[in-house]
Amino acid sequence: MPLKQTAVAGEVLQGTLDMLILRTLLMGRAHGHTIAQVIEHTSENALEIEQGSLYPALHRLEDRGLLASDWGLSENNRKAKFYRLTAKGRKRLIAETARWRQMTRAIGLILGEPAK
Amino acid sequence: MSFRRFTERSKKDALLADDIEAHFGHEVDANIARGLSPEEALRQARLKFGNPRVTRERVWEYRSFPWIEDAWRDLRFALRSLAKAPSFAAIAVLVIAVGIGANTAVFSVINTVLLKPLSYPDPQSLVFLTNTGPQGSFSVANVPKFNIWRQQTQVFQAVAGFDQAGAGLNLTGGNDPEQLQGVHVTADYFRLFGAPIVAGRTFTPTEDSPNGGHVAVLSYGLWKRRFGGNPNVVGTNIQLDGHPYLVLGIVGRNFVTETPADLWLPFQFDPTSRDMAHYFRVAARLKPGITLQMANAELKLAADQFRSTYPGALGPNAGFGVAPLQEIMVGDTRLSLLVLLGAVTFVLLIACANVANLLLIRATARQRELATRSALGAGRGHIIRQLLTESLAISLAGGFFGLIIGFVGVRLLLAISPAGIPRIGPDGSAVSLDANVLLFTLGVSILTGIVFGLFPAISSSRMNLSSALKESSSQAGVGFRTGKLRSLLVISEVALALILVVGSGLLIRTFMKLQAVDPGFDTHNVLTMAMSLSGERFQQTARVAQIVRDGTERLKNVPGVTTAAAACCLPLEGGFGLPFDVVGRPKGNDPNTGGAGYLPVSWSYFEAFKVPILRGRNFTEHDDGSGPGVVIINEAMAKKYWPNADPLNDRLLIGANMGPVFVEPARQIVGIAGDMHGNGLNRDPSPTMYIPVAQMPNKVTALNSRIAPLWWIVRTSLEPHPLSKPISAALREASGGLPVAHIRSMDEIVVLNTSRQRFNMLLLSIFGASALLVAAIGIYGLMGYSVQQRTQELGIRMALGAPASTIRNMVIRQGMILAVIGVIIGVAGALWLTHFLASFLFGVKALDPAAFIATLVLLSAVAFVAVWFPARRATRVSPMAALRFE
Repeated sequence: MPLKQTAVAGEVLQGTLDMLILRTLLMGRAHGHTIAQVIEHTSENALEIEQGSLYPALHRLEDRGLLASDWGLSENNRKAKFYRLTAKGRKRLIAETARWRQMTRAIGLILGEPAK
Repeated sequence: MSFRRFTERSKKDALLADDIEAHFGHEVDANIARGLSPEEALRQARLKFGNPRVTRERVWEYRSFPWIEDAWRDLRFALRSLAKAPSFAAIAVLVIAVGIGANTAVFSVINTVLLKPLSYPDPQSLVFLTNTGPQGSFSVANVPKFNIWRQQTQVFQAVAGFDQAGAGLNLTGGNDPEQLQGVHVTADYFRLFGAPIVAGRTFTPTEDSPNGGHVAVLSYGLWKRRFGGNPNVVGTNIQLDGHPYLVLGIVGRNFVTETPADLWLPFQFDPTSRDMAHYFRVAARLKPGITLQMANAELKLAADQFRSTYPGALGPNAGFGVAPLQEIMVGDTRLSLLVLLGAVTFVLLIACANVANLLLIRATARQRELATRSALGAGRGHIIRQLLTESLAISLAGGFFGLIIGFVGVRLLLAISPAGIPRIGPDGSAVSLDANVLLFTLGVSILTGIVFGLFPAISSSRMNLSSALKESSSQAGVGFRTGKLRSLLVISEVALALILVVGSGLLIRTFMKLQAVDPGFDTHNVLTMAMSLSGERFQQTARVAQIVRDGTERLKNVPGVTTAAAACCLPLEGGFGLPFDVVGRPKGNDPNTGGAGYLPVSWSYFEAFKVPILRGRNFTEHDDGSGPGVVIINEAMAKKYWPNADPLNDRLLIGANMGPVFVEPARQIVGIAGDMHGNGLNRDPSPTMYIPVAQMPNKVTALNSRIAPLWWIVRTSLEPHPLSKPISAALREASGGLPVAHIRSMDEIVVLNTSRQRFNMLLLSIFGASALLVAAIGIYGLMGYSVQQRTQELGIRMALGAPASTIRNMVIRQGMILAVIGVIIGVAGALWLTHFLASFLFGVKALDPAAFIATLVLLSAVAFVAVWFPARRATRVSPMAALRFE
């Protein structure tokens, strides 16, 4: 039962994490470790996620049909699960990105930053 | 949402483990590449990833039905924890079972009477045709009305008339003559009600005309019983009243009629008849799409047309209308059932308050357990859900037993005490356990569980963790808040119980008043029975008078019989009414001087019932067709129509304007009889005219013989039932072989007449008593608990020298304060609520002081007893033990 507490804390980031995963896979198929690395690096380490929390998100996205997966051999010759974006996932990413941009722009306006 | 997430959980978990394994591999590879030692590489990877088990558990949880699985776990836990407190569980389940049982009982009757549709096809479109007027509407009919109603084909698909099997028929032609219930119906009757025909056919319109011949349709029951279910009986003749009747067909088993019927005969009335006496009822089926309003509008026009065709037959404020068949059949039962439903809701509320109290006490004792669970990470929602599951387990178990108690109880009660409720079948056999009742009980159980469980669950989840853990178990949670909540619950229990007990007190007083009513005649040692005079033999008054004379003569010779008489009808069982005119008195605008009961009786009627003749003379054997017409009126009629004059100087013209059947010369009023409560013990005697049977116009006798049997009234010197055999035998000999039926004593008829009041009183008393008991348990439980909690304090007080009586009085005062507050609130509630009972009361006011005071005394006494035992226990606290109690 104490597990629930950590789950609640993770939920805040969940939507963001989903978007980051989709964004990462836009560049092509990748396995979990690569995805974690890419998210870490591209966000300049600002969004350092606990890597473990990546997997529930991956499974959720796969169940929703936004991702597809297959098993294969990695560059290190390890058996790994490769995730890739489906058409539905691509559409969702575009929609989410647009929404995100809109929101950040709105927040920017409120905070008095000049619109670009 | 995809259902995929719930499938193949174990397999997917294994794959996830592999996936995570690969992730670690890659991270370790990367770390080694950065120059770390293999051990350090693994450690860093673990740090970065977090606990892989947690990840797997989170995915696992995401793939589960958390609600159902949690509920299942909660339920198992609840059952375990209830099993650990069996006496608590048993009391709680029992109290809830009583509450739900009472609700199930009343609802199963309501379901049968009010909710279940009639068993005919498309019952919503079936209506009764009614006569409307300022006095209400009456679903009775005569031939001219039937004719005009039948013409309203724009709104009705079919219109049929039927009588109530009043007269009965004699099935003869065997060794064993039997009186049967034969319902007269018009040709459309079977089509209207969608009667299933298992063999043969029903009447044609030709067979339902004045010379249509002797034909009959048998009921399934009669066919099985008398004819062994032989289909070849169709097309053969059976003997009714000594005449052969051709059996046309047999109606199926499931065809239930309001008046139980053994067979059906065509009405065969003369369509040109202008008789205005009402002697049958008319039902119709609305055309599809026709509403009651549309039919009523059409009938308004029909009433105008009727008024111009038959001047004087319909008053200026009278008219025609329709009412749903079910509504007419149910009548005023609806209100009394709804009041009973209100009463049982109270019982259930009291039960809920009681169990809520028990749960609060239990939750206090479990505070440490709950605190421990909370400390281990259970959220407040978890604890509330857990406690609610426990209360739902209790309420569902209570509901299960309540269903059994309620259903068996109501059937038992209906069998013991016929309630006079329509549609419930003989001894309540139609009250059945169907999906409606089951769903109702299930719904009430769940609702109950939430109602009594939510409060304690919320209040006990709201606690201070550290203090609860630190406190010793016996001390924890003597909190002010829960203490107040418990007192509130006990107060409301007392208040609700008081309202119920006042209600049952009022009904008990009503019943006692009814029992105390002097019916105006002596009901004891009188045996009554019906003799059917149907058939051509009895179309003549002289023939009927002859049977009455012979029968009376023979009965006098039966040992034990003191007087015998005959009449059209029995007191308390309804009768006829006709308009009358006082000869020579101006009528003003009304068509007649007035209307009054019309009772043909034999000369010894008043003697048999021991009714006094107040003025004038009684009938004699010589008041027959050869003598001048005479009539005796009752005191109520004399007072109403001759307030300042002597009725004995006047003559009455009876039945003017009622058509040719009733035409007769004026009758001399020869006597005034004492009033009888003929229309029910709870009704004032109404104006009544008594006519000698031997002086009735022939046509009235013929009509009478068709619609009602002749009732024999036999006064005996001892208990009458043992004499029923010799009396029946004497009557059969005197009448040339006619059987008698419906043998009952007059006392039984009186009981039957008050059965509805008795049923309401019994039911409400049972509810009131259970409410009282449950409330007493509530007070007892609370005070007992409070004494137990205060053992230490009491011990100190005693050690400091407080005498036992002070301790006792302190506890008593505390408990009685709650009871008194409850009583005050209850009285206020009762003052308001009892007016809903007003229409069930007789001889007592809704604010009857006796009922209120008796209830106050009773409730206070019960509360005192409930407080007394804990108080006595308080005085037995040993100071030494109490101080060591910690």
